[in-house]
Amino acid sequence: MIFMLAWKNVWRNKKRSLIILTAIALGLGCGLFASGTMYGMWDSTVNAAIDRDLSHIQIHSENFKKENLIGNYIPDGLELKPQIEKMNGVKAVSVRTIIEGMAASATSSSGVEIKGIIPDEEQRVTSVAANIKEGKYFEGLSRNPVVIGRELAKKLDLKLRSKIILSFQGPDGNIIYAAFRIAGIFETESSLFDKSNVFVRQQDLFSLIGSKPIVHEIAVRLTTVQIIDQVVNKLRNKYKDLSVETWQQLAPELSISYETLDFELNIFLGIILFALLFGITNTMLMSVVERMRELGVLMAVGMKRIKVFTLIIFETIMLSITGGIIGMILGALSIWITAQKGINLSLFAQGLSSYGISSHLFPTLPVSYYPVLFIMIIVTAVVSAVYPAIKAVRLNPATAIRMY
Amino acid sequence: MALIELFDLQKTYNEAKIPVYAVKGVNLKIEKGEFTAIVGPSGSGKTTLLNMIGGLDQPTEGKIVVDGTDISTYKPDELINFRLHHIGFVFQAYNLIPVLTAKENVEFIMLLQNLSKSEREERAKELLEAVGLGERMNSRPSELSGGQQQRVAVARSLASHPSFVLADEPTANLDSVTAEALLDLMEDLNSKFEMTFVFSTHDSKVIKRAHRVVTLEDGKIKSDEIRKVIVKNEG
Repeated sequence: MIFMLAWKNVWRNKKRSLIILTAIALGLGCGLFASGTMYGMWDSTVNAAIDRDLSHIQIHSENFKKENLIGNYIPDGLELKPQIEKMNGVKAVSVRTIIEGMAASATSSSGVEIKGIIPDEEQRVTSVAANIKEGKYFEGLSRNPVVIGRELAKKLDLKLRSKIILSFQGPDGNIIYAAFRIAGIFETESSLFDKSNVFVRQQDLFSLIGSKPIVHEIAVRLTTVQIIDQVVNKLRNKYKDLSVETWQQLAPELSISYETLDFELNIFLGIILFALLFGITNTMLMSVVERMRELGVLMAVGMKRIKVFTLIIFETIMLSITGGIIGMILGALSIWITAQKGINLSLFAQGLSSYGISSHLFPTLPVSYYPVLFIMIIVTAVVSAVYPAIKAVRLNPATAIRMY
Repeated sequence: MALIELFDLQKTYNEAKIPVYAVKGVNLKIEKGEFTAIVGPSGSGKTTLLNMIGGLDQPTEGKIVVDGTDISTYKPDELINFRLHHIGFVFQAYNLIPVLTAKENVEFIMLLQNLSKSEREERAKELLEAVGLGERMNSRPSELSGGQQQRVAVARSLASHPSFVLADEPTANLDSVTAEALLDLMEDLNSKFEMTFVFSTHDSKVIKRAHRVVTLEDGKIKSDEIRKVIVKNEG
């Protein structure tokens, strides 16, 4: 009956309860939506980085990690590919030949990383092919096709089918110059990536450097990211001399931001609840002051102080939880609705792309946030209720009955 | 042994600064089954005395023995428990819980006593029928008239099987017809169940029906009139 009495008391002054409920619901709803947007932004940034070039796991020779030299390739790298492909949980593998070099046009030049790939395989591991905005992915040109980013094309003032000169140091130390023709121009979420990477066919690169096929990087895409540690451990055990790294180790800045995001979002929601705490306290205080006589009567007829205290705490928790649940539904619903088509931030695309953030974000929030938030709401309610509840139990019943 | 015994009861407020002597040495014995009115002008110490008898206030000196228990040295929490099990209250402004129905208001006291749901429901029904509100058990106080609300308050005061009922100006907010009907009910409960009623009142209707009238003046008992003949119910 205490529960029932508390619930009925919450609705005693409907207007006042609805005002604070709306404040709680909107505060939490908007807070959750903002959190979902931030989370979605980081989620898409991380996924975009994985899709763009990181993939889930990368394998290099230890020396290549120290210095990106053409000679620091993975011994028998091509032979590893079929072995890795056979492993459980591996979706696709791409072997890459990576050479630091320069890209030049008639008007300008720029430092780039030349990535020699097998186009069909790379397509299964990363999204460069899907991000081609002009031309085609290594199609339409039979000799030395190259795929470059929009930013690089802009910088070098190049168009589709334009000639581009790539220069780099060969295995013998001589500088090699080669003319390529632009088959496709890609555009990803990261302007930095688009400016500093060119993709060529591995076979063209091998004929230019005149060496046997060499591989500097093996990029591994998994069926699901959940098994990453398991696969990495297997790879490390199998290839003890090689460096096997997850995307988190390859891009620690992304990984750290992603991990601290949880903490930051909890702080963010905590601040909203802290502000709401004063509103809830005020509402409960009004409710207690209005009922001084009634509370006095309850104590006069034999209701223990601890029960009166509990009654006020229950009322506050019920009020807060009702608002909190509505807020969580509002937040979850707004996240779900906007996640269907995503939020288009193309107006700010330029600014976002310099940070590698997608201009089309899909709000999302892990389900684990909701129980944590629920507990935070209860804690807020209890803290809000303490002062009004103390005020209630300090009443002298004899005075309260006569004075109020 | 009397049901309520007051021994040289004194209550002084603001002792340290300018002391106000509200009750100055009251000795009184009230027997079980009495229908007693405590009367007196404002400032006579009537309320203070009633609060002390009801365990809502503690005496500065003297002793209060209710049902053989000295409650004058009880701590506030012990007094709450004592009130719950020994004293029924009827207030001037009814003071029912507005969000609960008549039945729930009566049940609430028994809930505080940790009685089972079936016991509570049975007794609440029985009491509300006894005060003539068997048909209005599920009405909220706002749906009842003043007289009906005060009847619910009487039923509530009896819910805990108290030793006596303390009624503070119970008829002050009622019109005369309703007040008479309420007093009929109380008299009836007094004669049927030997329930002791102690009133604090200015109302001549209550004074007229009381078996005993204790008059206070300046914190002391001025007169204690015990009537042998009870005025009969005329309605």
